[in-house]
Amino acid sequence: MFLTKLALKNLARHRNRTLITASIIAFAVFFYLLLDSLIGGMTEMSYEMIINYEAGHLQVVTEEYWAEEEKLPLKNLITPEPELMTAVKNVPGYLGSSAELNFQAMVSNGVNELPVIGRGINPPDFAGVINLTDYFVEGEMFRVGERRAFGVSPAVIGKRLADLLKVQPGDYLTLLVKDRHETFNTIEAEITGVIHTGNPLVNEGLVYVPLDVAQEALAVGDRVSKVLMKLENKNRAPGVAKELAEQLQTINPRLAVYSWDQLEAVTVAGAKQMGNRLIMVIILLIAAIAIINTVILAALERMEEIGMMKAMGFQTKEVIYTFVLESTGIGVLGGILGVLLGLAGVGVFTVVGLDFSGIIDMAPYGIPVVGKIYGVWNPLSFVTVFAFGVIVSLFSSILPAYWAADKDPIKAIYPK
Amino acid sequence: MALLEMRGLTKIYDQGKIEVPALRGIDLTVEKGEFTTIFGPSGSGKTTLLNLIGCLDRPTAGTIIFDGQELGGLDKKDLAIIRRHHVGFVFQSYNLIPVLTAYENVEFAIRLVNKYEKKEIRDRVMRILAAVGLAGLENRKPNELSGGQKQRVAIARALVKEPKLVLADEPSANLDSKTSEEVLQVMAKMNRELGTTFIFSTHDPLVMEYARRLIEIRDGQVAKDQRRE
Ligand SMILES: Nc1ncnc2c1ncn2[C@@H]1O[C@H](COP(=O)(O)OP(=O)(O)OP(=O)(O)O)[C@@H](O)[C@H]1O
Ligand SMILES: [Mg+2]
Repeated sequence: MFLTKLALKNLARHRNRTLITASIIAFAVFFYLLLDSLIGGMTEMSYEMIINYEAGHLQVVTEEYWAEEEKLPLKNLITPEPELMTAVKNVPGYLGSSAELNFQAMVSNGVNELPVIGRGINPPDFAGVINLTDYFVEGEMFRVGERRAFGVSPAVIGKRLADLLKVQPGDYLTLLVKDRHETFNTIEAEITGVIHTGNPLVNEGLVYVPLDVAQEALAVGDRVSKVLMKLENKNRAPGVAKELAEQLQTINPRLAVYSWDQLEAVTVAGAKQMGNRLIMVIILLIAAIAIINTVILAALERMEEIGMMKAMGFQTKEVIYTFVLESTGIGVLGGILGVLLGLAGVGVFTVVGLDFSGIIDMAPYGIPVVGKIYGVWNPLSFVTVFAFGVIVSLFSSILPAYWAADKDPIKAIYPK
Repeated sequence: MALLEMRGLTKIYDQGKIEVPALRGIDLTVEKGEFTTIFGPSGSGKTTLLNLIGCLDRPTAGTIIFDGQELGGLDKKDLAIIRRHHVGFVFQSYNLIPVLTAYENVEFAIRLVNKYEKKEIRDRVMRILAAVGLAGLENRKPNELSGGQKQRVAIARALVKEPKLVLADEPSANLDSKTSEEVLQVMAKMNRELGTTFIFSTHDPLVMEYARRLIEIRDGQVAKDQRRE
């Protein structure tokens, strides 16, 4: 159509302005893609952190416990009876399972006290779900049934906690706990190992002790908080969780199975995606302003031309069409440029990675990340940001185009 | 039947508190095929009158009948449709689209009316460009043409859709006298050959010489109306 041809020619008419506006859009698109890749990388990493150091792929737990887990109650615990453990071990793709007992504690070095989470574990089972071997900076994991001199319990703590308490392997700690009957009790422990993992929560707030020591100190018998499970493929976890939950109904109807993607921390990571949307909005706003500015400049320049077109009988909507098409063209150009830049940028980012540990401490934001963050590919983001760029260019041009096109032809032809 | 009939045409511009009477009761009849000039001193109302005739503006009072149709009852959109099909404009400052060639500037006016086949469009555009003396310059952009050539493109653009009326407000004001005469000769030729009605305004006595009817406007009224052969 003729108007289309005119719009395309107008694009080439102010090559510099077209290129500048397209570049602004391209830059916005590029920036979004980098950020999206970074946030994706962080999210992915925090999933991995949580799975690898805390939660495994699946958790068998009572529904009541799950509901108030942050309080680490000693009620609604489960007994890892043989039937239950057989069902657990027979799920498809099973790699390992570990029963653990979590509890609140105050840890003291005799001078200072800090609140921590105590975690009773059975080392060989634990190693089947959570692999900490590479993260010991000092000492090592205690062994099954190990006791130190005078019947003192062994314990493993995080590096940061060790620094805060100024302790190292061989030093003693006291864990003050309240047992199931709300009676105070203590666990005397000697540090056997210090770990430094990628998960700040583990580094700073966890004390591992043998499961039987914890069970005794808390007077819970042979019960545990939950059973963690590891599978061959994390993506199959939700399906397996459902199947296993059904099977467990016959053993104990209060039992539930949750997969890693249902963890609160992961939902928080999902909320970060919302932040992503916000950035998208800001970026698209920039694109919209660039387009509006361009349309107004072009319209002011072409006032007499618009007047002539209207005098000749062009309808307002036909004039709008030429401007809108022109802006959409700029949007497409900017979008393509931005996507190309994005492909290059994200490509580099996935290989090189960014080291954030020295720059900012992410732990307060709930992103358990240390070390380098690598970008992730998110093809859908490329498609959406391109589409949004074009759509925003289109829509943001309508109003200024209307303003230009609705001019009285006489006033447009004789601008003074 | 006359092409145009104006009765008691009045136009008052509202400039805030002041009312500027630009036309005060114009009665005129223009027959089909006339080649008419409207002249008069600056501010006498020539442009205002042409705007009313060209359906670009509406009178404060009075009626215009355009080819049997009373314009008074029409809205903006209807007026635009009349302009689109029946009125051609030639502007003092040419108002060509700079990104289009001479050919395309004319082509887009004929496409606007949407009544010719593709093949016919090309023939018509080439023919009208040749008729106004632009054969061979079809592919030039406006900035590669002289003022006179640009105005010829504008005349071709106004004529190509075969309108009933061509209006030209001071078409030669930006041209030197020799070029002005050439442009007027082209207009007169097209009027003879196609029978299109032309109304143009001017200050230039040399240009007036080409008209076959001279209407003088003073203070928004017809002061003199004279035909000659
Ligand atoms: N848009 C407008 N608003 C207010 N007054 C106007 C407007 N247009 C024209 N006028 C006034 O109306 C009167 C007639 O103006 P018009 O432009 O029709 O004269 P003209 O004969 O074309 O003059 P010129 O030879 O200078 O082009 C003048 O007094 C002018 O100031
Ligand atoms: Mg005038």
